[in-house]
Amino acid sequence: MGDVIGFPLSTGMELSNVKDAFDRVGKKQKLSFSKSHEVINQVSHEIEQALVKIQSDEDPMSPIDQKSILTELKHKLITIAPLKQLEGSQKELNLNLSKLPKLLEKSFPDISMAYRNVDFDFHIVNQILASHFYHQGLFDLGDCLINEAGEPEAAALRYHLLELHQILEAMRIKNIEPALKWVSTNREKLIQTGSNLELKLHQMQFVEILKRGSRADALNYTKTHLASFASSHKKEFQKLTVCIIWIGRLEKCPHSELFAPVCWEKLTEELSRVFCNLIGLSLQSPLSVAIAAGIEGLPTLLKLVNVMAAAKKQEWQALKQLPVPVELGKEFQFHSIFVCPVSREQGGEENPPMLLPCLHVLCKQSIMKLSKGSSRTFKCPYCPAEASAVVCRQLYF
Amino acid sequence: MEMDSLPNGNSTTTSTTAPSTAPPSKLTQLTESLKLEHQFLRVPFEHYKKTIRANLRAVEKEVSSVISAVNDYADSDISNDDAVQRLTSLVSRLQGLKRKMEEERRTENLQAERCRARIDHLESPDAENLTGWANMRLKRILVDYMLRMSYYDTGLKLAESSNMLSDITFLLRALMIWQIECQDLVDIDIYLEAKKVIDALQNMEIAPALAWCAENKSRLKKLKHTQIKLLLAETFATVASNSDPGVNILEFNLVKHAIIVNAHCSYGWQSKFEFQLRLQEYIELVRAENHMGAIAYARKYLAPWAAMHTKEMQQVFATVAFKGIPECSVYKAFFEPKQWDYLVEQFKQEFCRLYGMNPEPLLNIFLQAGLSSLKTPYCYEDDCTREDPLSQESFRKLAFPLPYSKQHHSKIVCYITKELMDAENPPQVLPNGYVYSTKALEEMAKRNDGKITCPRTSLVCNYSELVKAYIS
Ligand SMILES: [Zn+2]
Ligand SMILES: [Zn+2]
Repeated sequence: MGDVIGFPLSTGMELSNVKDAFDRVGKKQKLSFSKSHEVINQVSHEIEQALVKIQSDEDPMSPIDQKSILTELKHKLITIAPLKQLEGSQKELNLNLSKLPKLLEKSFPDISMAYRNVDFDFHIVNQILASHFYHQGLFDLGDCLINEAGEPEAAALRYHLLELHQILEAMRIKNIEPALKWVSTNREKLIQTGSNLELKLHQMQFVEILKRGSRADALNYTKTHLASFASSHKKEFQKLTVCIIWIGRLEKCPHSELFAPVCWEKLTEELSRVFCNLIGLSLQSPLSVAIAAGIEGLPTLLKLVNVMAAAKKQEWQALKQLPVPVELGKEFQFHSIFVCPVSREQGGEENPPMLLPCLHVLCKQSIMKLSKGSSRTFKCPYCPAEASAVVCRQLYF
Repeated sequence: MEMDSLPNGNSTTTSTTAPSTAPPSKLTQLTESLKLEHQFLRVPFEHYKKTIRANLRAVEKEVSSVISAVNDYADSDISNDDAVQRLTSLVSRLQGLKRKMEEERRTENLQAERCRARIDHLESPDAENLTGWANMRLKRILVDYMLRMSYYDTGLKLAESSNMLSDITFLLRALMIWQIECQDLVDIDIYLEAKKVIDALQNMEIAPALAWCAENKSRLKKLKHTQIKLLLAETFATVASNSDPGVNILEFNLVKHAIIVNAHCSYGWQSKFEFQLRLQEYIELVRAENHMGAIAYARKYLAPWAAMHTKEMQQVFATVAFKGIPECSVYKAFFEPKQWDYLVEQFKQEFCRLYGMNPEPLLNIFLQAGLSSLKTPYCYEDDCTREDPLSQESFRKLAFPLPYSKQHHSKIVCYITKELMDAENPPQVLPNGYVYSTKALEEMAKRNDGKITCPRTSLVCNYSELVKAYIS
């Protein structure tokens, strides 16, 4: 995509151009303002002069001829030409005012160009947004939206996420009771997924007791809460009991990593992950992920639309697959996609990736072609090794 | 995915690694994405521009009316006292104008500051505040959606809440800045301007909409000659194809006449939106069976529009007024209650265009781009990972009409760690053809004395039986 017409220059340059154009508007505005002031003062001054003349009727012998004074004023105003003066300064300001939007249009593309005219069901969008707010712990906001938009409540989801946020809230002040309570109600499911979250929570609690320095409390906690892990998690159990000896000088303890403040953060994150997983959610809000992907992908899509617009706009609206890759960061790769280096085809169930004896991988169709329908051996396109179709093995990613 | 190719034969290592350009850093990416901020810069500027131009016009108007007053006085016979009184009042008018200019200038400056704040905000992201900046952007996108959808409570609440800044320590500091920034970074006041009109339209009142039209007269879309022709041609076709006589003869005459008139005076029309508003008000009078009112209204507001003062035209409006809702014509559409929703839509479109806003909510644009970039055929399978937004039914539905993404190179994600494999963490193949990342397999072997258990098939094998796969 590097060679297609993009939007010129770097964004930094664009911004400073915009800034300059904006500054010019500000300057012209100031100029125009003081010009207006000046013109108004001029007009005002002439009228006041005329007023003085009309009022100065000291000489009763020659009565004031207001008509001639007014005519004189009229002509003076014609010479001053206030409107023309205003027009002059306004013209420059207007010119600069029109320039900036044009500059913006040139340097910042119209992002709706990449929008497909399909109706996004706003009820679905609203529900996604409410879930997003719940996911972020913004329950008021989620409720407010559901209320205002008249969407059905997502009661179950809200209930679960509220529980999660209460647990996290408590953990923030180093209270693991709500977390332990949740773990014990879901013990069966957690064991099935191979999570040892319960032990980790107890370990954290134990560490806090060690820090407080009471050997008796530590021993007591070992008996009541840790002993049950003694056989299933031997190593961890031993580590913890060793620590009791080091009470009062924990910094010298061989397992000092257990006391690092980052442990709380890690535990909180793990709990969130396990919790979300158990209720069928992702750790990240899916809306945040999708929007972040959109922000990363949109520049490429806009370039693409630009190129295609040169040909035909309709095509963009009808595409079944994007004609070019949109490179997203690692965090957005959720699926294994095999692209055969020979045919450039995306593999699938009918055309799976195959491992050659030389350990290069091609798609099945390419192998069929190279081996003329598996009738003869062929040379690997990537090394001198020979292979036959029968010895190639299908791969599963 | 770019990986080493295999050492061919037994000894020579022909490493043909062709690493494509290193993945751009998050900061570079963010800088790149600033190009998407047209609306963010444009809207406050259009607002600013509108204020400046309105003020310029006001000054011009006042000065010119003072001048023409002077001319009038000079050309007429007025007494000395009269002249004094009138000139004095002109002077105080000019004083008043100067005061008003000062006030308006304060508004202009506030708006200029907002434009400036937006430029500064776009210049502000650096390596330290990336996350905060991106969170703020998400918030802006969501506020834009809420306000466009008329969810004002939610929109305002969201704009006021600072919780969305994820970093807790950052929070307190941000809280104070936010109070100031919030107004500068989202266009709440502008949307509130729209809200007044929308609320009124929803209550079937057109006065605020008309006032808005008057205020923005010069910038509204004019009803174009070609559009009128099209509209009339459609009416013509409907009438022609209709077998029911009665009203239709009159409709027919209306159309015929309108076409003739329009051929002559093509540019005498006002804005399309205003015309629709007036027509709707007339329809409401007809609906309420206020016959005389409807006729009077049509004479006053609609006839001049069509530049038709003829008897025929008036007769048509009168007949419609008395006979009620026409049976089969395009005018029937005007009698449906959802016509008011249509007016709201029309208003929103005009409003967005005037302020240089995207016609669609930003959220929809970004969401669409994101879903299209993420969409693969695998997303719709049952085992799609939960971390993929497209594993959720709601996102799948939205993505349904969108194109799939495309890849030029293989991207292999480890089933166990969910990480993208690369040259540092290459894929290895079990005897049964299942592929996992080296990292995951090494870890598993370490824990189980060199034994590997395939998580999908339960096959057990030794770590030594694995082979590296070379995928280019
Ligand atoms: Zn090979
Ligand atoms: Zn998926």
